[in-house]
Amino acid sequence: MTEEETHEPRATIHHRRRWSSVWVVPLLALIVAGGLVWKHYAGRGPIAYVRFETAESIKAGVTEVRCRSVRVGIIEKVDLSDDLLSVVAEVRMDPNSEHLLRQGTRFWVVKPRVSGASISGLSTIVEGAYLELEPGDTNLPVHHFDGLEEPPVTSSSVPGLRLTLISEDAGSLSSGSPIYYRGFEVGRVERRTLDITNRRIRFDIFIKEEYSSLVSQGTCFWNTSGIDVTAGADGFKVSTPSFQAMLSGGAVFSVPKGGNVGPPVQDGAVFELYPDEESAQKSIFRPDHRILLFFDQTVRNLSPGAPVEFRGIPLGRVVEISFKHSPPGDSRVPVVIEIDSDTLGKAVEDINDPSKALAECVRRGLRAKLSSASLLTGALFVDLDFVPGAMPAELTKIGEYEVIPTESSASIAQLQDQVKAILAKIEALPLDDTLNKFGTAADEISITVKDLRGTLDEAEGALAEAKKLLARDETQNLTAELQATLKQVRSSVDSLGPEGAMQGDLARTLDELRAALRSFKVLSDSIEEKPNSLLFGREGSGDPTPRAKR
Amino acid sequence: MEIRSAAAEGLASCHLCGKVSPVDLGHCPRCQSPLHLRKPHSLERTWCFLISSIALYFPANLLPIMSVSGIGGASHDTIMSGVLNFWKKGDFLVAIIIFSASILIPVLKMIALCWLCFAAAGKTHTSPKNLTRLYHITELVGRWSMVDVFVVAILVALVQVGALSSVLPGPAILSFAAVVILTMFAAMSFDPRLLWDQHVGRDLSDTP
Repeated sequence: MTEEETHEPRATIHHRRRWSSVWVVPLLALIVAGGLVWKHYAGRGPIAYVRFETAESIKAGVTEVRCRSVRVGIIEKVDLSDDLLSVVAEVRMDPNSEHLLRQGTRFWVVKPRVSGASISGLSTIVEGAYLELEPGDTNLPVHHFDGLEEPPVTSSSVPGLRLTLISEDAGSLSSGSPIYYRGFEVGRVERRTLDITNRRIRFDIFIKEEYSSLVSQGTCFWNTSGIDVTAGADGFKVSTPSFQAMLSGGAVFSVPKGGNVGPPVQDGAVFELYPDEESAQKSIFRPDHRILLFFDQTVRNLSPGAPVEFRGIPLGRVVEISFKHSPPGDSRVPVVIEIDSDTLGKAVEDINDPSKALAECVRRGLRAKLSSASLLTGALFVDLDFVPGAMPAELTKIGEYEVIPTESSASIAQLQDQVKAILAKIEALPLDDTLNKFGTAADEISITVKDLRGTLDEAEGALAEAKKLLARDETQNLTAELQATLKQVRSSVDSLGPEGAMQGDLARTLDELRAALRSFKVLSDSIEEKPNSLLFGREGSGDPTPRAKR
Repeated sequence: MEIRSAAAEGLASCHLCGKVSPVDLGHCPRCQSPLHLRKPHSLERTWCFLISSIALYFPANLLPIMSVSGIGGASHDTIMSGVLNFWKKGDFLVAIIIFSASILIPVLKMIALCWLCFAAAGKTHTSPKNLTRLYHITELVGRWSMVDVFVVAILVALVQVGALSSVLPGPAILSFAAVVILTMFAAMSFDPRLLWDQHVGRDLSDTP
């Protein structure tokens, strides 16, 4: 009211809506909160889904994913798959490790494993299992993976040669088994799979890079798992592979003798795995002729695979024994063999054209016959040899097979010759000499027996003497004397007893000792009361003490 | 009954020493501190702190609050996952305590403050007496929410057994502490007299 009265001009105050500085606080908070949440969620790495058979030792939120022991993620969740046949682990990768999830990347669980070949993952006993990630080679991003149940033997990033071996039988060769070259370990079997369509076993093997040049096209692989016992002319030979190979199996490779080395191989080359060294050695045999033989005798003990030899030199093998190759109405047994005519051509002189070697040989009298390879087993083999005075014949053809004429092996003349030879050998034996020697040996034995009898007589005499000695009176008296001695001993022991003289003496001595002790006690008492009595004697005895004058 | 407030009479209570003096003086005659009828920008500040605390409440609950690493790997727990863990293990009491102290109370506090701010701005018609009671409860309860932060701090200090086991604070614990502090600030900056002013104002407007 006063303002109106004085009519003073009045300043009108407009309150401008001004933002207070306090609003900085929520702004800051929003930025910080937004930043934190964004960093946590957007800053997280991608998710990978890894499928395993079981979630054994995998724990959600705990199990880490590592690549060469560097943490790159963590398992966030483990779920059963929709078909309930496997588990799917959700792996949250750490930021900046997205590039690890690409095609070819492999996952497996690292946990303690003990196998014949190795013990691994011991560190995980304490710190728990983890998932190992091995990045693939490509750059194609993938987020779904199938985890490996078994860790790969070698990481795919390790340089080296990766080959495939094909085998009829898995044997004891398994994942992790060593591959040897001349007894030196140069690689490992990575994986063993059964190829169902071909019904064969496939081994994926890895040869370390430094040894990869040892493998070439001509290389043969064979199994070395077992103990090999061979019986030869020089006795039995037992060869064992290394202890590890015995436990976990193993394969050896080398170029067989006589084989050519061939060009080096690339990754993924396929080789045959032979069951043993022998079959590997045989594998270099390249037959160029398939031949049909008609035998007019039993072919029992002749089995497919039996050798075909020319004067002991292996030429080939028996392939098949079957009547299907026989022309109708022919009762002879057809045997299909395959041979390498090169070897034959080298063995026979004056043959210039190796391709015609076989025909030329047959013209000269080459015949096939069955011979016994072993007296023990009775196994037969096909023996090709020139038969002198054979009926002239030519190499004929039935279908795709050539036919070599055969010779019956069990002819009477041959038998006769053999018997004659045996008889001659028996005749040549030094029988007389041997018999003479037997005679002298018998003489010597009779002399020895006589000597022996003398010795026995002497022994008898000695025994009689001993008996006499025992029967003598002095020997008998010995016992009486012994008895007397024992009596004396007993009496002296008695004197020590309670009634014995010794006891009385002892009692007396003890009494005296007691008296002495008593007087000693009196002495010690008086010393205790008056120690000076030792010097001055007891009061009232000895010299009177002079007294000072008053 | 007519309610008359000191502010209507132009009297202000000193923020520092509490002396009541006419607001025209500008400064308290006793301690020379500036005089205001009400806390200046009270609602605005309360809103600011409230919004900040709400914003930080999200990271506090979404991020791990504590990571326990020990034999067999590490585990990261948010507040809610910790509560759920305790509940699953059958420690219902502990679960309820943590849930109420760490989740329920902060939320209720923030709701209460919002309500108070709206009421102070005259948007609701709740009895000012109840609102004031609510305000006091909010202020009283506020500091107890720090229990979580202390638990983590103590665990981190105590459980350091090297490779065997160790506890590390997570990023959420700072947010959580900030939430608690900011709600306390919000409660402090709120002037409960504003609640009454609405009614005083109405009554005053009614009086001639």
